Amino acid sequence: MTLLGEFALWISLPVALWGMALGYAGGRTQRGDLVLSAERSVYAVFGLHVLASAGVMAAFLGDRFEYWYVASYSNRELELFYKITGLWAGQRGSLLFWALILGFFSSIAVFTNRKKNREFMPYVAAVLQTVLAFFVIVLLFADVNPFERLDFTPANGQGLNPQLQNYWMTIHPPTLYLGFTAFTIPFAFAISALLSGRLDARWIQLTRRWILTSWLFLSVGIVFGMRWAYEELGWGGYWFWDPVENASLLPWLTATAFLHSIQIQENRGMLKVWNMSLVLLTFLLTIFATFLTRSGLIESVHSFAQELKIAFIFLGFMASVLGACVVLILYRLPQLRSENQIESFVSRESAFLFNNLILVGAAFSVMFGTMFPLISEGVTGNEISVGPVFFQRVNFPIGLALLALAGIGPVIAWRRATKRNLQKNFATPVIVGLVVAVALWSAGARHALPLVTWGIGAFVLTILATEFWKGTRARARIEGEGYVPALFHLVSRNRRRWGGYIVHVGMVMIFMAFAGAAYNVDERFLIEPGDVVEVSSPMGHTYQLRHDGLSVSLANGQRNLLWQAIVTVSVSRDGEPQGILTTEKRKYTTQDPGGPPMTEVGIKSYPLEDLYLILSELEDLEGAVSANSDAQGLYLQVLIKPLVGWIWFGCLILAVGTIIALWPSADRRRGASEASADATPEPASAVVTD
Amino acid sequence: MTLYVGVALVAAAVLIFIMQPVVKGLHASLEREDDELTETEARKRVALLALRDVEYDFLAGKLDEPDYRSLKSELTAEALAALEADEAARANGSPAEDADVEREIARIREGMRSGVVCIDCGFANEAGSRFCSACGDALAGSVGR
Repeated sequence: MTLLGEFALWISLPVALWGMALGYAGGRTQRGDLVLSAERSVYAVFGLHVLASAGVMAAFLGDRFEYWYVASYSNRELELFYKITGLWAGQRGSLLFWALILGFFSSIAVFTNRKKNREFMPYVAAVLQTVLAFFVIVLLFADVNPFERLDFTPANGQGLNPQLQNYWMTIHPPTLYLGFTAFTIPFAFAISALLSGRLDARWIQLTRRWILTSWLFLSVGIVFGMRWAYEELGWGGYWFWDPVENASLLPWLTATAFLHSIQIQENRGMLKVWNMSLVLLTFLLTIFATFLTRSGLIESVHSFAQELKIAFIFLGFMASVLGACVVLILYRLPQLRSENQIESFVSRESAFLFNNLILVGAAFSVMFGTMFPLISEGVTGNEISVGPVFFQRVNFPIGLALLALAGIGPVIAWRRATKRNLQKNFATPVIVGLVVAVALWSAGARHALPLVTWGIGAFVLTILATEFWKGTRARARIEGEGYVPALFHLVSRNRRRWGGYIVHVGMVMIFMAFAGAAYNVDERFLIEPGDVVEVSSPMGHTYQLRHDGLSVSLANGQRNLLWQAIVTVSVSRDGEPQGILTTEKRKYTTQDPGGPPMTEVGIKSYPLEDLYLILSELEDLEGAVSANSDAQGLYLQVLIKPLVGWIWFGCLILAVGTIIALWPSADRRRGASEASADATPEPASAVVTD
Repeated sequence: MTLYVGVALVAAAVLIFIMQPVVKGLHASLEREDDELTETEARKRVALLALRDVEYDFLAGKLDEPDYRSLKSELTAEALAALEADEAARANGSPAEDADVEREIARIREGMRSGVVCIDCGFANEAGSRFCSACGDALAGSVGR
């Protein structure tokens, strides 16, 4: 099976190259047989990659340690679940997995367009196969072949890094990859539009749902990663501005910008070149993210030398894509001119423009900070990395401006907003924002930045709530419906708009949660069994924590564990018992024997704050591990993290909003012929025009 | 041995699958289907959707009367231009030139700036008109800002 998979990977290269060549040739000569063959090659490559991935999985499940990849990321004792997910545990498998998902999305794109949008499809197939061929070339020729064999067969593998043995870590990378790869489809349509000269807004309308799908997976994937860091890294943070995290944030920022700017092109026929540039930039950043995450370029410049080949292949590919796209855009420049001009500085168009500038500015600052170690090494010879402080300083004002625009954008008028329009829509929300900030200040919240964030958050939420309320009320009045059905119909008539507003609500919650970090509590206690410690939270609660005992078990290698020390803590909150929490130290057989043990934290979540316990250190490690019953003392670190739960909840709301915006609307399902008839149907219009 | 048979089968299947169209002359369509939106239709749809949004904003109390009227007359003119362009395209059997639609929109917008589009009924009057030829209302230069 594994060998068959290896052959399948090799076969996929000529097939992808064939599809690429025929797609371009078929588009150029308008020959349908060449195009059909190119489209079929997309399915074929996907099928071959399914075989190849099955081969890797079979190697994992069969403990085939003669394969370097299996020997490095698994061992006999690893749980079955992690053997299956071994496909994306390391660089080599991830690249294959990436190609697999890309092939999957490409096949869906080709299949769903087999009877429509045909004039785009030759070049779409060609571009998709170009990207696929690139990944196969990397897999086969950049020393990252997952099927590479060792000269000998080790008795056992090295096992999987214990930190990766976490539920979130198994779903975080695939989710992100889904987001990264899905963006290839809009990119392919954009290039096809450039190549074929069909440069109206159609390529955008055709790929809107792909863009949203990609954005949804990117957003959720990033939050899954935060969740993993929060649970697994053991110090209570969820974002560290490390290169790998930044790499996933970059395409998210530009994709978000793109999502907004395409609305200007659709509505006003402006920003065509900008949109082309953003789709290109986002695509390049998804490739860059793969490259950064999987090459080890930034974390350690020393590993760079070993990975020189893959670095050159990636950089070469990115440079050629960039070059080709710039040439194409310049060539088509006369057809990309703007149909309108911005009429006023105070209008929804300019709100979108500011949003774009801010997002792209943020992307550049993150990019700069991430690449700084490389830049400084190139210039001064010393590798200096910029810490989280740089990113926070730069991104805090950017984030606040963005947050405010999330409220301003939806209600400011298109074209030009008059003073009356502004007063009418912004007076109440501004007052609510100020009142919330003042109320929080008098309640004792004295940090400036969180106050500003919460004030702006309240401003935005008021605007959005008012939008929903006004819309529902208007609809209820006209249709004579109850408020609940009116709200339901309102949203389903224009999913895109209302789904977008729901996404904004989710984003506001996430931003407000970030600001909560200013009020984190962090205390450390040395406790013996029976000791009770008290910690007060900024929300005014008092937690009593009692050390109920430390239990140490020697696992002797089962599930790769050497030993495991679990402390049980009973928690009560303001005198009310809340059950128990446990936190652990674990030592794995696969770890460096002299290194520190891993930590498992205990988390109890409340709507407004999380209680986060860390078994920081055992007072007498030797004694505890040799089952000495007196060695029960330990350092317990108690963290209280205000509003953290809002990040996960905000992400859920964001996902719901995106799915609403994605959902096929009723008129689309009835067919495009009725679409124009459906454009006027908000019952409101009939009433008003009379 | 079974391995080589397996590999050969996979390779043969792939080869037949992708070569068949070229050898047998099976063609994929490269034409736009009839029921897909043409460019003028898409334009018309956007214009009508924009009108719908303005209606909604007014009804929901987000725009007041004068703002609503001025935006509406402008959008109505654009929607009319888009509708005409679409009809022209249908009549000719070929999509109208981009530039035509744009020129028409530009002309009407320009007209509105000089105050000749009626704010009540949206009718585009000739330059210099003082009363609306459609509804008879006075055409004060009050349209727009």
